[in-house]
Amino acid sequence: MQTIGLPGTAAPHARKPGLWGWLLLAPMVLWLLLFVVVPTGILAVYSFCQRDDLGRVVFSFTWDNYVRVFDPIYLNILGRSVAYAGLTTIICVAVGYPVGWYIARRPAGLRNLLLLLVMIPFWTSFLIRTYAWIAILKNEGLLNGLLLSAGAITAPLELLYTPVAVVIGLVYAYLPFMILPVYGSAEKVDNALVEAAHDLGAGPVRAFSEVIIPLTLPGIAAGVLLVFVPAIGMFAITDLMGGARVPMIGNVIQNQFFKARNWPFGAALGVVFTLMFVFTYLAVQWHGRRSQR
Amino acid sequence: MKKSCCLILAGVLALAGCKSKEDAKVLNLFAWSEYIPQTVLDGFTAETGIKVNYETFSSGEEMLAKLLAGGVGYDIIQPPDYIAEVLIKEGELLPLDTAKLSGLDNILPEFRGMPHDPQDAYTVPYMTGSVGIVVNTERVTTPVKGFKDLFKPEHSGRIVVVDDGRELVVAALYTLGLGINDITPENIAAARPLLASWFPMIKLFDSDSPKTALLNGDVDLGYVWGGEAAILWDEDKKFQYILPEEGAHIFVDVVAIPAKAPHPDAAHAFISYLLRPEVSKLISDEFPYTNPNGAARKLLTEDQLANPGSYPKTELALDTFRHIGESGALIDELVTDLKNTSGQ
Amino acid sequence: MIAPAQPMIDIRSVTKRFGDFTAVNDVSLAIGPAEFITLLGPSGCGKTTLLRMLSGFEHPDQGDIRIDGADVTHLAPYRRNVNQVFQSYALFPHLSVWDNIAFGLRMQKVPAEEQRRRIEEVIDLVALRGFEKRKPTQLSGGQRQRVALARAIVPRPSVLLLDEPLSALDAKLRHQMQLELKRLQKHLGMTFVFVTHDQEEALTMSDRIAVFNQGRLEQLGTAADIYHRPRTAFVADFIGEANLVDAELLQRNGNVGRVRLKGGLEIIVPLDQWPEGHAKAVVSIRPEKVHVSKQPIKAENVFSARVEEEVFQGALDRLTLVTDAGTRLHAIVANESALLEAIHEGDQVWCGLHMDDLVIVAAD
Repeated sequence: MQTIGLPGTAAPHARKPGLWGWLLLAPMVLWLLLFVVVPTGILAVYSFCQRDDLGRVVFSFTWDNYVRVFDPIYLNILGRSVAYAGLTTIICVAVGYPVGWYIARRPAGLRNLLLLLVMIPFWTSFLIRTYAWIAILKNEGLLNGLLLSAGAITAPLELLYTPVAVVIGLVYAYLPFMILPVYGSAEKVDNALVEAAHDLGAGPVRAFSEVIIPLTLPGIAAGVLLVFVPAIGMFAITDLMGGARVPMIGNVIQNQFFKARNWPFGAALGVVFTLMFVFTYLAVQWHGRRSQR
Repeated sequence: MKKSCCLILAGVLALAGCKSKEDAKVLNLFAWSEYIPQTVLDGFTAETGIKVNYETFSSGEEMLAKLLAGGVGYDIIQPPDYIAEVLIKEGELLPLDTAKLSGLDNILPEFRGMPHDPQDAYTVPYMTGSVGIVVNTERVTTPVKGFKDLFKPEHSGRIVVVDDGRELVVAALYTLGLGINDITPENIAAARPLLASWFPMIKLFDSDSPKTALLNGDVDLGYVWGGEAAILWDEDKKFQYILPEEGAHIFVDVVAIPAKAPHPDAAHAFISYLLRPEVSKLISDEFPYTNPNGAARKLLTEDQLANPGSYPKTELALDTFRHIGESGALIDELVTDLKNTSGQ
Repeated sequence: MIAPAQPMIDIRSVTKRFGDFTAVNDVSLAIGPAEFITLLGPSGCGKTTLLRMLSGFEHPDQGDIRIDGADVTHLAPYRRNVNQVFQSYALFPHLSVWDNIAFGLRMQKVPAEEQRRRIEEVIDLVALRGFEKRKPTQLSGGQRQRVALARAIVPRPSVLLLDEPLSALDAKLRHQMQLELKRLQKHLGMTFVFVTHDQEEALTMSDRIAVFNQGRLEQLGTAADIYHRPRTAFVADFIGEANLVDAELLQRNGNVGRVRLKGGLEIIVPLDQWPEGHAKAVVSIRPEKVHVSKQPIKAENVFSARVEEEVFQGALDRLTLVTDAGTRLHAIVANESALLEAIHEGDQVWCGLHMDDLVIVAAD
């Protein structure tokens, strides 16, 4: 059975690694243990603790943090974060899929150049790129200046510090994470398959929906995970481009650790958030498997 | 399981921490980002031969967290007053050895014996500042004297405020005539409707650089740190700064030595260095907050002293923040809730 | 076979260029209904490009193409009643055998019941019963080949295009499939256009063979035509084996003439194909048509030669002969008897060439 998921998870004939295999795996296992398993464990423990007057974690068991997580305020914020992340993901698929597919169908030289262009922004600090967007979107910024001088608008558009700016920022930040996996799976699609679809009477639309989409589904699924999950937890963009007006769950968690000094509550939010990631992943996996049948 | 986790963690921390323990000519400084000029650090090193390791934080709470985590041995920390207060109470600070300090007399009387350290036994004021209202007088022609003028419907969508729940709640408490350090459920409940009416008018919450949006012209009014207002005024005199008539407070950022500081002598030497008028002037030149050092103020230009952001003229008796402990959660919850509601 | 009055495919003066490279150069070709035609040539000769113009993946720069009477020169592939079996099979990896075969019918919106019936039928035809639910990755090469075939024929195209479909199979399976394909084509009565670079494949299956070289149609004819009466040195060399020997016309006598081959051997050849007004041409001599014996031989051309090299190949013996005059010829003889007629290196032998076996082709 072919499974669909993140690239590398499709191992139809997985077998137990031998001694050499374990040796090769050891650095990764150690890394995962130290920087994934242990911190997650600490987070889980903290989430059942309390804080003292100074904000230090006190190891005395309580459910209070989880009770507070399910307060309507936080559920509402979580819901909003999911909605923003969902919208971001949809736009990223709509914009990133054609780009990824297009790049994958170019000749090798051009393809590498285009990939480079997609990745060049990563060479600059994320914050600097976000500030660049502020310069573009602000009232007296590039975009408004351009539109005003072109006569398209008479008064500057209110873009910065609005939800629109947040979505622009999120899409900008996560678009490469959609393009790259889509490219990865599109590149593997043999052009003969597309030709075969045309040959058998499928026009562009049918060929796309019947052959291209199913064959690039692993890339789409990976892209959705890579965009959706981190977008839920994003806080820098909502602060900088959204003017910190609309809190996202990432802002709330960050706030608990850095400002409110309520680590146990922050930890509880983090645990719930992590569980959400796991469920999203399982849902995508399950859906992928089902659509394989 | 937990034991082995601790062992692993301890190992990692040991690896990170075992740089140069025997080197006594070192000062581990833990201070606000963009608060201590590099020229000051270089001057100190040139004179004493003590190398300064400068680590920064961006909120007092972040500093507290790292200090209490106890990883790196800091020699100098730079807490705000209300955090210094609790550190003293918890025995986390080293009493200052006045014999090793010089220049304490330079501190103006009004910055001595403050509530956070009544005996001046643990802390020395570094810089102080107020939180007030800045107005772009080219865009806003009606007079703005306090919070009730700032949060008017006509200013809706043109206001930046510091993204700091406590400052916002305090503004409401002043407006209601309540004590700013009395964070009780009743007071919070009283502040809620007022803040709920203010929040939708706010275009932007920004603690790090509220001046940017004002300079960019995205907003015209602000409730910001005095130092930010001072930079704005320096840039363009159209940015006027006032302390709200309902009431204002000052914050005092102090320097102090943690109880477990590995190099207390170097720390004392550094504090003495900071107290020198000519050094303190350098700090004022770069970061135009209110300088508590009287001797240094004498070295400042008239223009610097006339800056309302740095030295606001006021008849008000200014309050200071006190440690509020777990009541902070009330503020956090209120602000999160209001942002959530106004963001619908 | 002569192209019929109403061809199924009519290719008229088609030219296709890719940049500076002319892939197909002024090719005209008429293919009859129910004909099995093979486009044969080395890689880069233009045969695949021509096939892709029939399927619609490429469009001619000049000329036009008619299929079943309709001009399809610029018609998109999905609007043509033409299906293709791809070299790589191009089976949809996400679909089962059944769904792969059903794809074309679904695109044509054939009613479900009829779809089912036709798929069942074709599955029996290509012997894939029991494999309907498998994915392509779970099939052997030969099975995939048959799925590709079934998928392409089930929509009942007027023309089936096959792009080197057997090249990925091992030799034994390839022979078997060659015969199956030929039988299938007869059974369906469908026009097959088969592209290959394998001359043996072409000779085995085709009604007619079109030999391509450097974008041009070099020769069109039946297998026997192409083999026995190659018109160019390229065709003679590409189809089977040939001694291609430069010849100079010495003396003309009606339809027959005396020529001197390179090296010095003089023989009599038929002149009907001798290029008009040329003193020189090439004589194509199939090695198996060089008769070799230790006894004197009866033929129009008889001469003696020395066996320079002998390669024993079981049923055949490959000989390199040097005639007394000095002309070098390759010969293939059957190993009829191990005892009597054994020919070995260094032997002096008699050679004979029948005039009918000698073909004159133009010098390149």
